[in-house]
Order: sequence, then C-alpha cells, then structure tokens
Amino acid sequence: MKSLRGVAASPGASVAPAWLHNQASFDLPTDTVDDREAEIERLREAIESVAQALEEQASQTSGELAEVLQAQAMMARDPELTTTAEGAIKSDGTNAARAIIDAGEGYAEALAASESDYMAARAGDIRDVCSRIARRCLGVPEMDIRAMDSPAIVVATELPPADVASLDKELVRGIATQEGSRSSHTAIVARSLGIPAVVAVSGLMDAVADDSVIALDGDEGTIYVDPDDDTRERTEQKTAARTEHRAQLLERAREGPSATRDGRVIEMAANIGSVAELRSALEAGAEGVGLLRTELLYIDRPEPPDEDEQVALLEQMTGFLGDRRLVVRTFDFGADKPVPFLDMEAGPNPALGVRGIRLAREQPELLETQLRSITRAAENGKLAVMAPMVASVAETEWFVEQVERAGGIDAGVEVGVMVEVPSAVLVAEMLAERLDFLSIGTNDLTQYLHAADRQQGALSYLQDPFSPALLRAVEQICSAARGKAWVGVCGEAAGDPAWALVAVGLGVTELSMGADSLLEVRVAVGEHTFEECRSLAAKVLASGEAEEARRIAEALVS
Amino acid sequence: MPEKEVKLTNEVGLHARPAAVFSKAAAGFSADVTVAKGGQEANAKSIMAVLKLDVKKGDAVTIATEGDDAEGALEELVTLLGSL
Repeated sequence: MKSLRGVAASPGASVAPAWLHNQASFDLPTDTVDDREAEIERLREAIESVAQALEEQASQTSGELAEVLQAQAMMARDPELTTTAEGAIKSDGTNAARAIIDAGEGYAEALAASESDYMAARAGDIRDVCSRIARRCLGVPEMDIRAMDSPAIVVATELPPADVASLDKELVRGIATQEGSRSSHTAIVARSLGIPAVVAVSGLMDAVADDSVIALDGDEGTIYVDPDDDTRERTEQKTAARTEHRAQLLERAREGPSATRDGRVIEMAANIGSVAELRSALEAGAEGVGLLRTELLYIDRPEPPDEDEQVALLEQMTGFLGDRRLVVRTFDFGADKPVPFLDMEAGPNPALGVRGIRLAREQPELLETQLRSITRAAENGKLAVMAPMVASVAETEWFVEQVERAGGIDAGVEVGVMVEVPSAVLVAEMLAERLDFLSIGTNDLTQYLHAADRQQGALSYLQDPFSPALLRAVEQICSAARGKAWVGVCGEAAGDPAWALVAVGLGVTELSMGADSLLEVRVAVGEHTFEECRSLAAKVLASGEAEEARRIAEALVS
Repeated sequence: MPEKEVKLTNEVGLHARPAAVFSKAAAGFSADVTVAKGGQEANAKSIMAVLKLDVKKGDAVTIATEGDDAEGALEELVTLLGSL
C-alpha cells in the first residue's frame, strides 16, 4: 500500500479500481498516404465532428467551463491549424492524425513556454483538442470519461474540460489528479455533483498502474494505492455512512414543503444559470428558482437575444418547474461584465459603475424585450422578476413602471429588487411598500457595506457573511419589509446551514442557493423551531465579531 | 489597407474569453484581418495565433484589414476591442 497526500477538493470517500485517463495512450502512425485529397477530406470531417461535440457539451454546461469548451471548439476549427495540417498532408503525404498532432504541437509548445499559468493551461487545451481529432481520424475510441463502462476512480494528470463536463456520478466514484487546485474546474464540478475528489497529489501518475485499486478520502485529501484491508474497510464504512446520510436527507426532503420543525414554511430555492443546472437542482429537491442569472444569454454574441429566444428558454424552465416559482433577475452586466453588442466605457471603478438597473435605464429597449418575454412566459408558469443593483426609491418606481408597461403586473408576475447596495437597506421600508419581495444578494451587499473589493484575497476577512454589519442589514431589511413584502436571500451565505438558521430567525422566508447545499440547509431548518432560530439570531446579533457569531451559530447546527 | 492601433485596457488582455470573442468576430468578416504586436503579426481569425501573441493589459496592438468591407470590419473590431 502506498499513501499519497493531496488537497481535499470535494468531500466523501470511496474505494474502487483506478481508471487511468491517459491522453497519449494511442500509437501515432508514421506511414504516409497515397490519396492525399481523401486524407484531407478525412481530417476535415474529424475536425467538424470534434468541434460539434465540444459545442454540444458547451451548451449543456455554464460559466467558465462552457467558455473553455467553446474556445476549444474554435481551436478545432482554427484556420491556421487546419492550413498547417492540410499543408503537411498535401506536400509530404503525412497521415491526417500525425499532421494534426504536429500542427497543434507547434502552438502548444509556444504557449507552454509562456510565463503565465493561464497560457500554459491553454497549451493543454490545444493538445487535448488535437488528440481528439487524431483519434477520430484513426477510428480509435475516445479514452475520455464517456468511454468508462464500470464504476471507478478516475486518475489523471489533469482532466480536460470536455471530460469534466461529461462526468457521470453513477460511474465516477472519485477523482484524483496530480495537478490542479480547489478552484480548478475539476474540483468545482466534483463538488457540485457530490463526487469525492483529491487534487494536486504529487507523484500520483507514477504510483498508480492500470490494475491498481484506489481508496480515496476527499475530506482528508489522501489517496491509498492498493490499500490494505484495514484502510479499505475504514474507507468503505465512511462511504456507506455518507450514502445513507444523503438518502435519509433526500427522503425527509420529499415528505412535504420545507419548514421549521414547528411548521413555518421556508422555501428552498436554487440559483441557476441554465436548464442543466435547473434539472440537477430539482433532483436535489429545489422548491423553486430564487435566482435565474440571465447574463449567459447575452455574453459572447454580437446581438442581444430577441424576445422569442428568451421566451423559449423561460418556457423550457417553467415546463420543468410546473407551479413552482421562477425568479428571473434582469440582466446584470455592464461596466464590470461587458458584452460585445454594447459600446461601454469601463470607467475607473467598474463595480461602482453603470451596471445592472443603471445600464437598463440607459438601454430601456434591452430591458423591455426581457420584461415582455417574462410576461409571455407567465402564461404557463409562476414568474417573478427582480432588478439588480437598485440603490433608490426612484429606481424601484421606474422598474415597477417598466414591468407594468410590459404587461407583467396584469399577467401576475411578482416584482422585486435585489438588495445589495447599502442605500437600498436604508430605504428598505419604502422599497417594500412598492414591491412584492426583496431578495438579499449577500456577496455584493457584504462587499459594498465594507467598501472592500471581494476579488482581493487580502480583504477576504471583510467578506464574512457573519459580519455584524451584514447581519444587522438583514435584520433591518426584514423588519422594514414585515407585512409589506416577502424577503429572500440569494447570495452564497444562504447555502451555509448555520447562517441560514440566523436568516430564518430574522424573518427571511426564502433561501436560494447552489443545488449542492439544498439538502443540508433544508434539514438544518427542519430540525429547529422558528423560536429557536429567533433566539439564535438575537444571540448572534449581540456579537460584535464575525468569528464569534459564526461559532455561536455553528454550535446550534451540530 | 486600413489599419488602426488600439491599446488594451481590460484586465486579461487578449487571453481567455476576450481572445475567443475577438477571433470569432474577426472570422465573421470576409476581409482578411491581422492583429500585430511589436512587429509580430497574427491572423485574427485564428484563436491560436491570437493567443500566441500573448497580448496583455496595457499592450498596444495594430489591427489591419484588407478586402471586402475592410473599413467596416476595422471599425467594428476596434470598437469590440475597446469593450472587451
């Protein structure tokens, strides 16, 4: 037995045979071809099918992973890459597989030599794309994760994005990579799917053979290659305990609407950006969507989406949701997240610049299209709409007016705003009088309350959701809205069971979070009475220090 | 052959998403488009060539277009670079 240490990237444990992900595990032929025209045609077909497969995968995922996959599809179709490879076939009769690998290597080597980690990672992307094309030319089956046919632990130097996007949690019992970090795609996706993972395990590829068995502990960050009986048993017990725990949680979650032990209904909703995310949220027991980020519809395209396209997406979602609520956040891009079809000045401080509703006021036709699509989707679903970055009563009134003009009020669409700017907290009562709901965006609200950029690691101590200032803000919002509007939370803090209990105690009735937190939060809420949450909130509010507040709340959960 | 110099002001230069967005936009024109930095020239329609240029924040690049609607393509791409 060999034991190796890495970084714990996704919790859980498992024992299974190793499945070696080896990108170079096929022989590249050296022979030349006679029919060069036919070989070029073969290469073109392989390129097109690989590019299409990557685009297909990109459309089923979201965020940065989707962007990387789209970029890989562009690499496959890259005109220079194709010209170089076709040139080698035409002039030397090189076979298509070797021609594409050689052509790609020319770029990969240049990028790998760059000082930037980012560029070096792109070299990996190019090699991955070219190896996929070469396999297609040779008729060698893909050795990617889709080729797995029995449960195993995936062992790799680093998983290419296309593999990360096709992780199947039924087969993949664990992931161990030699490279990577807690913030690499592999780790993020593993956590969201509940697959145990350990990354940055040095010496991993040398220690594991084709027939190795692996015991992986994603809580401690350890890998045992060919574990002894004791280790194997200990790890298996851990897996069994976890599986049983999740099964119990799911069962309890299906018993009825989420509520405190004494029956105060607290809606467990999900934050999503795509249909795929909606589906996994519903599997995890989501009772609605508390935040649909609509930015993905707009980025990376020369023209904004028209009304029909937006209606089609919303109707696809309401089809899955039935009578459960879908809260759509109107587009939240601008100075901080530019889009190609608008000519915008970033300004000296994009986070405080023209974004969210501020941009909507400058581009009312963009908002109008979105609001009309929401009105139309409300014919077949329960729709709500909220505007981001609202800072004043005037902006709120303007937004309500726009929803009304687009027919939303008549169609029964609930209207709200995100509370993420401190000025909105101070006038929350006046906002609540004009709205159906307020949704607290804890990430931005914490950043703006403390005037601390949340992208800066050195300021992370000012980004604690247990900060007394943030908790007081939540209290103020809830008491200002009482009897006027319902209050939800859609920031990351909602997914922390201890924080969620405090929020419930303060008066929040909807918690919206990533799918992976839904069960834990739901169980924590269900195990406590509203009175217990209220007294917890009072104790936590009395603390002047985030660390202490967190300890008090976490003591109640465990 | 119309050309124009642009200084990249966004945080990541012509890496990551901006590189993909820029190449995709360039590929939409029938005119030939090149992007050059410090004497090195690349086909703007090739994402790999654009990445290889390693354009960072603060770097100045020269965009040149030739062929059908070269002027229009230049104008749109320069605007796009400014908004990335």
